[in-house]
Amino acid sequence: MKKRVLAILLVLVLALTVVLTACGGSGSGDGGSSSGGKVAITIFNSKMEIQSQMEEMATKYSADKGVDVEVYYSSDTVAAHLSTRYASNDPYTISMVDAKDVYSLAADHAVDLSDQDWVKDTTQAIAIDGKTYGFPVCVEARGIIYNADAVKKATGEDFDPASVKTIDDFKALAEKTGTGVMKEDWSLAAHYLAEVYEQHDDPDAFIAGIKDGSIKLADDEKFNALMDTFDVLKANNYAKDSAISAEREVTEQKLAEGEIGFMFGGNWDWSVINAYEYSENMGIIPVVNSVDDGSSEKLVGGGSKYFFIDSSDNTTDDQRQAAKDFLNWLVYDEEGQDFIVNKCALVPAYSNITLDVQDPLGASVKKFADAGALIPNYNYLPDDHYAKCGAIFQKYLADEIDRAAFAQEITDYWSTAEVGEH
Amino acid sequence: MKQNKLSYKIQQYLIFGGPGTALFLAVVIVPFIYGLYLTLTSWDGVSATKTFVGLQNFASAFSDAEYWKAMLRTVIYSVFAVVLINVVSFALAFLVTRGIKGQNFFRAGFFVPNLIGGIVLGYVWKFVFNRAFVAIFGTTSLLSSTEGALFCLILVSVWQYAGYMMLIYVAGFMSVSKDVEEASRIDGCTSAQAMRNVTIPLMRSSFVQCIFLSITRCFVVYDVNLSLTNGEPFNSSVMAAMHVYNQAFTYKNYGLGQSEAVILFAVCAIVGVTQVLIGKRGEVEA
Repeated sequence: MKKRVLAILLVLVLALTVVLTACGGSGSGDGGSSSGGKVAITIFNSKMEIQSQMEEMATKYSADKGVDVEVYYSSDTVAAHLSTRYASNDPYTISMVDAKDVYSLAADHAVDLSDQDWVKDTTQAIAIDGKTYGFPVCVEARGIIYNADAVKKATGEDFDPASVKTIDDFKALAEKTGTGVMKEDWSLAAHYLAEVYEQHDDPDAFIAGIKDGSIKLADDEKFNALMDTFDVLKANNYAKDSAISAEREVTEQKLAEGEIGFMFGGNWDWSVINAYEYSENMGIIPVVNSVDDGSSEKLVGGGSKYFFIDSSDNTTDDQRQAAKDFLNWLVYDEEGQDFIVNKCALVPAYSNITLDVQDPLGASVKKFADAGALIPNYNYLPDDHYAKCGAIFQKYLADEIDRAAFAQEITDYWSTAEVGEH
Repeated sequence: MKQNKLSYKIQQYLIFGGPGTALFLAVVIVPFIYGLYLTLTSWDGVSATKTFVGLQNFASAFSDAEYWKAMLRTVIYSVFAVVLINVVSFALAFLVTRGIKGQNFFRAGFFVPNLIGGIVLGYVWKFVFNRAFVAIFGTTSLLSSTEGALFCLILVSVWQYAGYMMLIYVAGFMSVSKDVEEASRIDGCTSAQAMRNVTIPLMRSSFVQCIFLSITRCFVVYDVNLSLTNGEPFNSSVMAAMHVYNQAFTYKNYGLGQSEAVILFAVCAIVGVTQVLIGKRGEVEA
């Protein structure tokens, strides 16, 4: 008899476990909403280099504002990580994602933020069908990073970034100082190749032209001009013979310490460069090229990393209000501004923030941004673009294929690829 | 209570096997079935709706050239890696069961690589190939060429698994009774003949086990692939599992990725089970 009781108990425990696992996901969403009457919000951070700053800020914000803020980070792909949280009905109150993720997630998961004050103070917010969903965290832009000390050492003269106006100017300097090329697929395809699309007045029409064959990429003036500039970088690469196994950290270290003078990159590279004995005299110049359309005076970039607020039933209205307050705090509170600009060393995306940007690359970007000299990002490239076109670009970098074959393979890629909806 | 009654048996099963069964169902069987369901949808991994598309994903998977290239690469890699892992581990096991000085130390030493996680191991070897070898020999890195990257993957896998398989072979060697080997020597066998005709047939089950383990592990290799080459150069070292991951999470074709995973599972299962069946058939008892 005792045994039977034991068996029944066991079965009950098991059944309970199964039921609990099944409901676990939906339960935890409400569990986080209030602890001791305080509203609790969660923030997903996808910018690894500011994780410790985010955590410090959360502790302080929680103490000051009476709102429990918890910050999470994942090194997983943003979309992959968020999908697991949605699958378990436990989304973050605020998620930091890339621009393209806002387009794919907003319809199902984001709150309309059009009525917020900060919308009028930025040009970088993401709106879909007239509704603003994405809060730009910072501005990032791409160009050629220079180390003025290295140039001075090579030429004996002070370097004036504004003096590099044509590809010949750049070539003359690059040959003296040496360059670095990042072999990472995202740098080659998502950043450099993307400039080919972005520097056309209408990237949509240009890509459509490649797709239907009305534009021959190999004959395109912009493509050839940018590839000429890339060839200068490639020909003077310090790791010319092993370009494809050069490690990003090594390249950035050489640039930071002045062994090479130039590298294609963006202000996010500061987080790598500042780990070394860097020179203060660095900055970003545009990717100079031979097409006379003003693009040699502009960086390419804009809002990078966006916050959106969860719209599902797993988040309460109180939490949503606290999340909106937090976003406003970032833009309008002195502490929030200090957090973005000084603590995280980001370039603010809001015109009302006038603090000086700390790092030299960010300061360069801010100068271009303030002067309106930014060519906007094209945020609708397919998800496999950087990986597949990056692989093709790597072949070009390794001299496995020539420019004509490169153009052909990119055209082949576009024959089946579709740009994201927008 | 009668011990052969059905209710008694069920009760006994639930007491002893119940917890395990429940966990197995919850973390293996249910996700597997749910995964099969996802292969029939065009889900992108994040959207709230999962559109039913029937078998279209399998059709796309069969026409996905990149996937089959990755699969072929995986097969080539597996063939080399499985053969080398087993040859090396058998040789190591042979050496450390001969009673040489400090053999326990060597056993432990050869096993250590297996205790390091694949990710860490990949980064360590990446440093060795990219920096150390380049600095010592002054050549370009092996990882920068297509064949070189595949070679590195095989080498690191052998290094990783040889120690583990060695343990199984050591157990195999120990299980063969000294009597039969001695008897064969008295009957006039040389030591090589004794090894070939007596010891190896008697430890056939070790071979079956080691080959099965190495095949299944090589077919789904991901961690070393990710940290050592990450598919570079030019996506020429992307193995099947990595392609599946990219397809599902990076390219956001979850349904397609899932169906490619199912195909990979089927291929792996067929190869593994066939090998075990063939291996088991010839097993002998001493």
